[in-house]
Amino acid sequence: MKKIVQIIKSFTLWELLIGMKLTGRYLFAKKVTLQFPEEKTPYSPRFRGLHALRRYPNGEERCIACKLCEAVCPALAITIEAEPREDGSRRTTRYDIDLFKCIYCGFCEESCPVDSIVETNMSLYHFENRGENIMTKPMLLAIGDKYEKEIAESKRADAPYR
Amino acid sequence: MTKNYIELLTDASQKNIDEWLARYPYEKRRSALLPALHVAQDQNGGYLTDNLLQAVADYIDVPKIYAYEAATFYSMFELKPVGRNKVYVCNSVCCMLRGSDDIIEQLKAKLNINLGETTPDGKITLKEVECLAACGGAPAMMVNKTYHENLTSEKIDEILQGLE
Amino acid sequence: MIEIEIDGKKFQVEPGKMIIEVADDAGIRIPRFCYHKKLSIAANCRMCLIEVEKAPKPLPACATPVSDGMVVHTHSARALDAQRSVMEFLLINHPLDCPICDQGGECELQDVAVGYGKDVSRYTEGKRSVKDKDIGSLVATDMTRCIHCTRCVRFGDEVLGVPQLGTIGRGGKTEIATYVEQSLDSVMSGNIIDLCPVGALTSKPFRFQARSWEMEQETNYSPHDCVGSNLHIQQRRQKVLRVAPKENEAINETWLSDRDRFSYLGLLHEDRLAEPLIKQNGEWKTVDWQFALNVAAEGIRKLIDAQGGQKIGAIISPNATTEEMYLLQKMMRALGSQNIDHRTRVTDVSDQKHIGAFPGMGFSIASIEEQSSILLIGSHVTHEQPIIGHRIRKAALQGSSIFAINLENYQFPFDLSDKLIVKPSALVWHLASVAKVLLTKQTNPDSELMAFLADLHVSEEANAFADKLMQFDKGCIFLGEIAQNHPQASAIRYFAELIGKMTNAQVGTLTTGANAAGAWLAGAVPHRSAAQKSVASPGLSAKQMFDAKLPAYLLFNIEPEYDCTHAQTAINALKDASLVVVMTPYVTEAIKEYADVILPIVPFTETSGTYVNVEGKWQHFSGTVKPFGEARPGWKVLRVLSNLLDLENFEFESSLDVLNTLKDSVDGILGGHHNALELPSKMNLPHEGLERITQWPIYRTDNLVRRAYALQENIVNTIPQIYVNNALAKKLACAEGDLIVVSQGQASVTLPLAINDALVDDGVYIPAGFQETATLNELFSPVTIVRS
Repeated sequence: MKKIVQIIKSFTLWELLIGMKLTGRYLFAKKVTLQFPEEKTPYSPRFRGLHALRRYPNGEERCIACKLCEAVCPALAITIEAEPREDGSRRTTRYDIDLFKCIYCGFCEESCPVDSIVETNMSLYHFENRGENIMTKPMLLAIGDKYEKEIAESKRADAPYR
Repeated sequence: MTKNYIELLTDASQKNIDEWLARYPYEKRRSALLPALHVAQDQNGGYLTDNLLQAVADYIDVPKIYAYEAATFYSMFELKPVGRNKVYVCNSVCCMLRGSDDIIEQLKAKLNINLGETTPDGKITLKEVECLAACGGAPAMMVNKTYHENLTSEKIDEILQGLE
Repeated sequence: MIEIEIDGKKFQVEPGKMIIEVADDAGIRIPRFCYHKKLSIAANCRMCLIEVEKAPKPLPACATPVSDGMVVHTHSARALDAQRSVMEFLLINHPLDCPICDQGGECELQDVAVGYGKDVSRYTEGKRSVKDKDIGSLVATDMTRCIHCTRCVRFGDEVLGVPQLGTIGRGGKTEIATYVEQSLDSVMSGNIIDLCPVGALTSKPFRFQARSWEMEQETNYSPHDCVGSNLHIQQRRQKVLRVAPKENEAINETWLSDRDRFSYLGLLHEDRLAEPLIKQNGEWKTVDWQFALNVAAEGIRKLIDAQGGQKIGAIISPNATTEEMYLLQKMMRALGSQNIDHRTRVTDVSDQKHIGAFPGMGFSIASIEEQSSILLIGSHVTHEQPIIGHRIRKAALQGSSIFAINLENYQFPFDLSDKLIVKPSALVWHLASVAKVLLTKQTNPDSELMAFLADLHVSEEANAFADKLMQFDKGCIFLGEIAQNHPQASAIRYFAELIGKMTNAQVGTLTTGANAAGAWLAGAVPHRSAAQKSVASPGLSAKQMFDAKLPAYLLFNIEPEYDCTHAQTAINALKDASLVVVMTPYVTEAIKEYADVILPIVPFTETSGTYVNVEGKWQHFSGTVKPFGEARPGWKVLRVLSNLLDLENFEFESSLDVLNTLKDSVDGILGGHHNALELPSKMNLPHEGLERITQWPIYRTDNLVRRAYALQENIVNTIPQIYVNNALAKKLACAEGDLIVVSQGQASVTLPLAINDALVDDGVYIPAGFQETATLNELFSPVTIVRS
């Protein structure tokens, strides 16, 4: 009996049909492929991409040069120099992140007491020349200014889980 | 050249301070600071100025910061101009339990000033102080240098009327 | 000895000790804020509460003396509960903004809060805030952070002896403040930065620059005074950011003078020279080392061929390292010149051959505290060597009698038993009178001496002074800057030694610069080569070299217009010389006026070397940071220059090589003594009329300090003015601020008048170390004053 069934299956290409059934299902199912870069997958609010320095709504930079990010950075990618600003407040004069060294662990963001340094969900950037891997303070602030809305949104989305 | 502040003390005051200084050995002359500050305060219409503090410190020959420390620590020294009469009401535990809060309220209402203020006519300065060491007669207050104990509403009116 | 038990361990301790001291010695950590081993006990922070068995409540460990059979628990539930509660109280008003606080990372409160604080405060009311005070250019304040431990107040009271900080107000309104906002005018005020357990008092120049964890520190030694204070140089990415004291009980205890602490600010001054310079056809050109050294060597060789080696003079800074001193003198002597000196400010060197191995102290710095009497001659000790001044204060507090013969009645932080305030020209005269009084009391006085002093009129004051001096059995005499720079310095030394002999006191010389002792041992003096070998015909001293107008000079790390006595003569001689090779870290227009070759060397943080302090203690250090630009350590420059001059035995590979060559021959030699000084030829009568008094103010002493901006802005820094006392100002009918002209022979200066009533009558104090006063040559000599 077993043998007869096997012969029938062999002649009808039964197993092939089983396999084609899966293929056929995907042929008509909704497609997951995205037309990158025109289309993108959704990012988690916790995604750790390019860095940014944020400002308060009144335009004041958040960073207070406490140097905790520099201290916690396991890759030693952050270099900070600070001095009193004219109004006496503690501010950085230099805030460099070496993106070649950075391992995107997000510790800097975790350690920041004022939510100044953040990792945005941008992962699409490139360098053309040597030296462009160093993100300086004005560059980081510019990213922060440009994407403040997105950054704030990500922070808000993640806030309940912190 | 530094100014000679000692000249700010009158002869009578200097003589008075000398008497206090004589009571302590030279190394302990800092002890004469409190009575000397009182002397200086009395001479100056009830309050001390920065220059007077310096005068007292120079006269006793102690660092001026010592005089400043003492004058800011004790509530009986005034560093701003005051009225002719100082009314100090005790607010510490015993007096509080016996109704010093009411007394303070009554005084404030009657004189129409807040604590630490002087009446516009310069007659009375009202101040709340820590324990006057008259717990046995609580509630107590000190008017100029006289103690008034077991205060009542009527007694206060009487006292205030008696003030110049 | 009694026995106590702490945390289950038994200790044999001396009665009278406090529990915290016993615990500290045993390495048992008790948290504390107000307790400091060098200050009195205040017991006002309550952080060190511990449980003592049978005591009804927790006791403060810092203020509880041990008693026999005491059983102490520092970490029992009850002790911890008390400590945690105190912590909670402290944090009621202390702001929790550690990220912006400069003390963050090295804060005692932060550390203790990690151990004893709660995660969340139960206190929801507002915190108090306190207005910051401006207390000068060195210490920044954040008074809201103050926890009222009063360490700074006690430091001023007990250590400085000039209480300026105090606690104002009471209870919750207590503040630390000065008397009506004023600057701290102490030369050791920087120590309150270290003492403050929180971020209330921090270093102003260092403010917000770095965190403690970023910096690396290395041991170094003070390059400014003869004490040799031990320091930690803290650097990050090859830049010195801070200097802190290194504890050394034998020298600086836990303290540091402001000059040592803040002079680092001058290290990277804009005057720093990065590459060698040479003058070609009147133009300055930047060249490489090889070229510059060749030009220098060629110039020296030509000059020697033409005029002989003895026509070259070399002057080295007393702050140079021993290795540099050794190499420079070795080079000079190999070139055939004995003209080498480090004593830039000294005029009278006539008795130099009688000075022992080096001028200094034959006793330790720590033993100053044990002297029963101390005599200061021509010394503003608290400004010249603040740490020695502090030791003298400690001696005074323990009952020693301090005497002074000075030109100004300085405000010392100790009481003087007696003082003679005299004119410069009367200094020797008064010393001689004191000596005479003492001599007459001897049972068998030296007849020759008595005859010499026979005509001397002894004043009433000198008589009384001498009487008091006699009463002590163990003492010391310090010769300060004025005594050493005085035109009759040898006579002063003679009489000081004589007085010392009769009063059983040792004479110590508080030398200028960090390494005068090293200079003598290394042979940077004209009459002795390394290791005390006398030379047959001594060369010229620094002053004599300039007087002699030599055709060639080598200057090492000095700026003659600021550093030298007779500055004008020096500048003129340098301008006339045909070859001037300057080795200096800093280049100025003044140097460019007279130099031909300028070689950039480095300050103390960038080289290795050795300083020998006034007690004869050798302290070797290695470079903390890399040299600036192309500048190179002085000893390397000297070595290569010697090689280029084809001199033998200059193949040293490291500064330790140099040091070992020298040290083998001089190790263990103690200095400070004088051998059979000679009686001065005659006694000059004091001069009638006005006389100049000169000193180098504390923040004008060397090229590094002069460039430290925070010290220059400090209230202690003297500004170039003409200082006279009230009586003299009245006589001249001048008021403070009036422009007046002081003339000395042909030279004159015009500066505003300032009144300092502590000065002697007829004394006109004109500080040295300034461009404005450099035209006056003589340090102590008659002057005339007219109103401008």
